[in-house]
Amino acid sequence: MIGLLRRRRFMRDHHWTEAHLSDYIDRDLDNPQRERLHRHTENCPQCRRMLETLQRTVRALRRIGIEETSPFGTGASEPISDSVIAHLRRTGWPSQD
Amino acid sequence: MVEALSIPVRVMVVRPDRSTEESELILRSQRGDREAFEELVRRDAARLNSAVARFVSDREEASEVTQEAFLRAWRGIGHFRRDSRFFTWLYRIAINEAKRRGESRSRRRPAVSLDDEAVPEPVDWSQVPETRFEQKDLRRELDEAIAALPLSYRVPLVLRDVEGLSTAESAGIMSLGEAAFKSRLHRARLAVRLHLDRYFAEGERG
Repeated sequence: MIGLLRRRRFMRDHHWTEAHLSDYIDRDLDNPQRERLHRHTENCPQCRRMLETLQRTVRALRRIGIEETSPFGTGASEPISDSVIAHLRRTGWPSQD
Repeated sequence: MVEALSIPVRVMVVRPDRSTEESELILRSQRGDREAFEELVRRDAARLNSAVARFVSDREEASEVTQEAFLRAWRGIGHFRRDSRFFTWLYRIAINEAKRRGESRSRRRPAVSLDDEAVPEPVDWSQVPETRFEQKDLRRELDEAIAALPLSYRVPLVLRDVEGLSTAESAGIMSLGEAAFKSRLHRARLAVRLHLDRYFAEGERG
């Protein structure tokens, strides 16, 4: 009976943890919630691995932003600001609202 | 215990003089000063174009969307209110334009499913060296994973994680409540993580 209750509580924490991993990474959990997530990830290798790899994923995504690379690479013939300005001039600077 | 790791965040270094200059440029643009607006273009076009490139299919379309966004910004700059950053306002215009173009395309191309489904046992790649993520093949995998997301999930991921905007700013750009925004962001992150899981499980194909 006690084993069953423990199992139910574990699964409740498991689903809750899966749903709140991003909140943890973004530091949007309060202290009791953080404690709950810590307790569960200590006992659940799957959630621990999930959290660690999700943190790595978010770090890798942020690195893209810091390096400011376009997914299409560089190689445009002119800076984009020049083509935007040329476009504005070509259209004759439409009237403002 | 898994501790929250320090995650690099794009730091927006805004010098007071730059911010003041920007306010002046906006004010002059609102009075119809074209040179002032051109200066705003020179400041923000490259960054906007990089972000837009994640929402469209190729470089040419990214340029077109960026051009159109600035054209609309010029026409509507009289409506810009100082309660948000100029760049955030530009973002909103550009994303709406990219969405408008993307809607017809997404009807033709099936997007990856983000439905709740049984999560397979995660592959352990938590010990992969940090420098590994700087290498081209892994960067390509990340780009592919982002591009495969439906636009409504790609936008939150790019704004919050790639561009480093706050949750409030990003949700505002998408006209979403924070809870709805965070839910989409979480699912998008899980989808990218799963993509990397598969990549590492396959032994980092060349």
